[in-house]
Amino acid sequence: MNTSANIGVFLCKCGENIAPFIDMAALKKSVGENAQVAHCETLAFPCLKPGIEHITQAITDQKLNRIVIAGCEGRLMLNKFEKELRPLELLKGQVEMVNLRGHVANVSDWEPVQKAQKAAKLIGAAVAEMAALNPSIETRAQIHGPVMVVGDGMASFAAAAELARQEIDYLLAVSHQEPEEILNQMHRSFTGERAYDDRLKKLIGEAIQTPHATVLLGYKLTSLSGVTGSYSLTFATTDGGQEKFAVGAIIACLDAAYELPGPGFGHDGHTVMIPPEMEQYIQNNGAPKGTTVFWISDYEIGQSDFAALSAKNAWQMAVHIRQSTNASRVIILHNQQMEVPLTAAERAVNRKLDILWIPYDKALRPTVQDGSLTFCNLSDHVEHEIQWDFLVVSPERVVSGEALETARILGLVHKEGRFLTGHHARVRPEMVGREETYLAGSARLPCSLHDALSQGRRAAAKTAEMFRKSAQGELFIPRVVCVVDPDKCIGCGQCQELCDCGGIGVEEGPGGGLPRIVDPMVCTGGGTCAAACPYHALVLQNNSNDQREARVSALARSLGPDECMAFACGWGGLPAADIAGKQGLKYDPRMYLLGVPCVGQIDACAMARALKDGAPGLLLIGCLPETCHHSYGIDHSWSRVNTIKKLLSLCGFDRRRIALAHADLNHAEEFVKTVDSFTRTMAALGPIPKTAENQAKLNALYNLIKNNTRVRHLLSAGLRRPWEHSYRGDQRHALEYDRDFSAVLTEEFLQQRLLMVFKAERGPFNLDQLSSFVKEDQKRVASCLWDMVQSGVIDFAHKNREAVYELNG
Amino acid sequence: MITFKINDEEVQARPGWTVLETAREYGIEIPTLCFHPAVSSSGACRLCMVELREGSWSKLVASCIYPVAEGLQVYTDTERVRNVRRWVLEMLLAACPASPEIVQLAAKYNVIRSRFASKDPDQTCFVCGLCARVCEEVVGLSAIATVDRGIHKRVGAPFARPTDICVACGSCITICPTGAMQKIFDSVRGEPATALTQLA
Repeated sequence: MNTSANIGVFLCKCGENIAPFIDMAALKKSVGENAQVAHCETLAFPCLKPGIEHITQAITDQKLNRIVIAGCEGRLMLNKFEKELRPLELLKGQVEMVNLRGHVANVSDWEPVQKAQKAAKLIGAAVAEMAALNPSIETRAQIHGPVMVVGDGMASFAAAAELARQEIDYLLAVSHQEPEEILNQMHRSFTGERAYDDRLKKLIGEAIQTPHATVLLGYKLTSLSGVTGSYSLTFATTDGGQEKFAVGAIIACLDAAYELPGPGFGHDGHTVMIPPEMEQYIQNNGAPKGTTVFWISDYEIGQSDFAALSAKNAWQMAVHIRQSTNASRVIILHNQQMEVPLTAAERAVNRKLDILWIPYDKALRPTVQDGSLTFCNLSDHVEHEIQWDFLVVSPERVVSGEALETARILGLVHKEGRFLTGHHARVRPEMVGREETYLAGSARLPCSLHDALSQGRRAAAKTAEMFRKSAQGELFIPRVVCVVDPDKCIGCGQCQELCDCGGIGVEEGPGGGLPRIVDPMVCTGGGTCAAACPYHALVLQNNSNDQREARVSALARSLGPDECMAFACGWGGLPAADIAGKQGLKYDPRMYLLGVPCVGQIDACAMARALKDGAPGLLLIGCLPETCHHSYGIDHSWSRVNTIKKLLSLCGFDRRRIALAHADLNHAEEFVKTVDSFTRTMAALGPIPKTAENQAKLNALYNLIKNNTRVRHLLSAGLRRPWEHSYRGDQRHALEYDRDFSAVLTEEFLQQRLLMVFKAERGPFNLDQLSSFVKEDQKRVASCLWDMVQSGVIDFAHKNREAVYELNG
Repeated sequence: MITFKINDEEVQARPGWTVLETAREYGIEIPTLCFHPAVSSSGACRLCMVELREGSWSKLVASCIYPVAEGLQVYTDTERVRNVRRWVLEMLLAACPASPEIVQLAAKYNVIRSRFASKDPDQTCFVCGLCARVCEEVVGLSAIATVDRGIHKRVGAPFARPTDICVACGSCITICPTGAMQKIFDSVRGEPATALTQLA
């Protein structure tokens, strides 16, 4: 592929939407003057067939390999251009759009000539980004080998049977093979599901007795490595050995476990039981005689979401009891907040079997007594008693034991929740190679057996679809994903800690410090991991930090003294800006917007680059923290912005020159307030005076945050706000952490400034000279110099009874 | 190349272009509402009607979906076109009287009042389906769709509940020509699903 950039810019007049507001002739002239632009053309409507034919013609004639289209919202139009230009080998990442209509034409009352200048600056920035692009080669995903069905959940059998139906080979890791034992296991993990016995037996037969199946009996998963298409799983075998399997895909079938509720529920295991114990009792002794009371106590346990599920299971058990023996009576006692989860047909059965449902007042928690249960009646608010011979209370549902261990190994535990369902990246389907980690069973979220089995079947169907696509060569790796440079990666694992999509793993091999690898089919391209890499070893391909820096730098250089710039998140700030533009809301036109897919992928050095290259201020407009589409991008950005703020004050500049803001796409009017507030602040502050000293400080700031691995390490370890509990890093004492971090920054910043003095001119310098260069206290400079001598960066010697310092080597 | 005439002026087009695309290429104005270049055309709003003449016979067609052909005689601003445009705009005004975009568009073509009764004075949506089309064709999801049929047809999420399918990208708000999607959007994207994981 030709990697030297040959850039074409196409300007859209968009009928009456752009041309009357922007001086298109002036814009074309100034864009054409850009040395990086090989071709510039104004079109009536580049988005319509005639326009696309013009573009195609120009690309073929001029051999263009990067395209910038300046017109309207890239969020809507980019897909179409990418699709149309794909046959010309212009892949995703090689086409960029600038929103002239929404960000320039409609948002101010500037003269068309002024708007043309603004448009030219934005286009220039996009062109610079395209010039810095190093496009990746289109790669097909290869998926070989069998599928591994692991986790020992009941859904395993549904998944396996579906795979057998689709004629895909699989390995099935289960703890039991005999139908009777599996049914026993089923009754323990899904209570009240006796109606499934026959069906499950049939399913087990389909899953095990087929040439496609290899059953791994009693094997325990110990480790996982590799990426989609070529996983390697290690199992501990029953005889204490180890066995390794190479598989193409994994389906995890995990079931939640039941735990005893607290002592307040009177559980004793003989008369007061939880459902699995009742199942066991029924199995051993038959249906209980006398009065059995099911107390649906999920509200009292604190798991009200599962009350309906518990009630349904209790009802199914009650039906079994009533049908088995006439000498029984069943009462289901439930919180008034829960609706009875029965269908009309089930209610008819319920009436026939005379199973009593009693709601109780939520205000008073029922109390277990010996042989009775008191509760507050809903209709008369009198405390009633029910006599029981057996009491069944709801269990606490958790993911624990082997299921949790397996989930950890498979990287399914993303957040500190009780269940594994928490992960749902709200991104466009094109951004992920495959939909999600295939997970089925009640560990995902407590569910009925029916749901668990259909989840297993669905997971298998999706996997089969992936195999089919791969075999036909239709499965492509998404273009904007992270890649690791193994030569630069030291294996610190910061990225893995931060990764939200679970796409980062460890390369296989002995010893520590192993390089990380990215599963490109899982990576959502959030890129906060790449922005956090202390060594720049992790790169978001086709959307790299180098590209972003080039764009920022081009824009910052072109900004006037009273102008400022902002990054707008593709999920919050950018749509808000697009919509503001569409609605014709007016805001300060001196604000220049750059779109990014997520503010989390802006490396702190790209922020520093803006300030270094002349932007008087930088605003980052992200989503609201709870709605971040890459989970924590906006929180990570907060830490980075905060670090730049600290460095700004070390330089003696106002900290407000960089700020983080939040926008919701459906509130464009709030976005306008945000922009106006920041531009007002910038107007009050004015530009940073362009003196050599200030520039030296800004250069030091940029170099520090770009290249100093100590600072970058600390920054990435301390990402996220200090009060967030779900983060593994321990920095709960916000103030102490902040003080330590500031101290390190102060120290390293001074070292950086001194280093840059030495780099500009080798020296030797004495202490007086050096402290006057950096305008700092002699004592501080001296101790800093001593550190630098210790680390071997500079040399020192005595000349005329005075210490002088010189760059080493 | 196909040669035909728009408003008696000769224009050239390639096979596969529509009358609207050709007209726009030549800078001839035709109003549109449910047309957007990012998605397929549906010809739903009938605002882009043009007149085709052949001798003494003529018919009205939706230019956004009418393919070009050799020797067509297209007129974009005749009495017949203006008449149907006025009707369409009046119906739109009656359908969504609360949409400033529609009011503005109608005013541009001198339609200030509608002869039709307005069912809902707060309505802004006329169910052009652009939001559903952009969700399916551009985003690749189906988080939003038109539900019900005929006069009951409206835009919403499946089962009228916030849906997990929605990734809250806002494409539907951006593409909506009447500003109606802003009101509907929150009922589609819903609240972030965090409640269950924070049970502990």
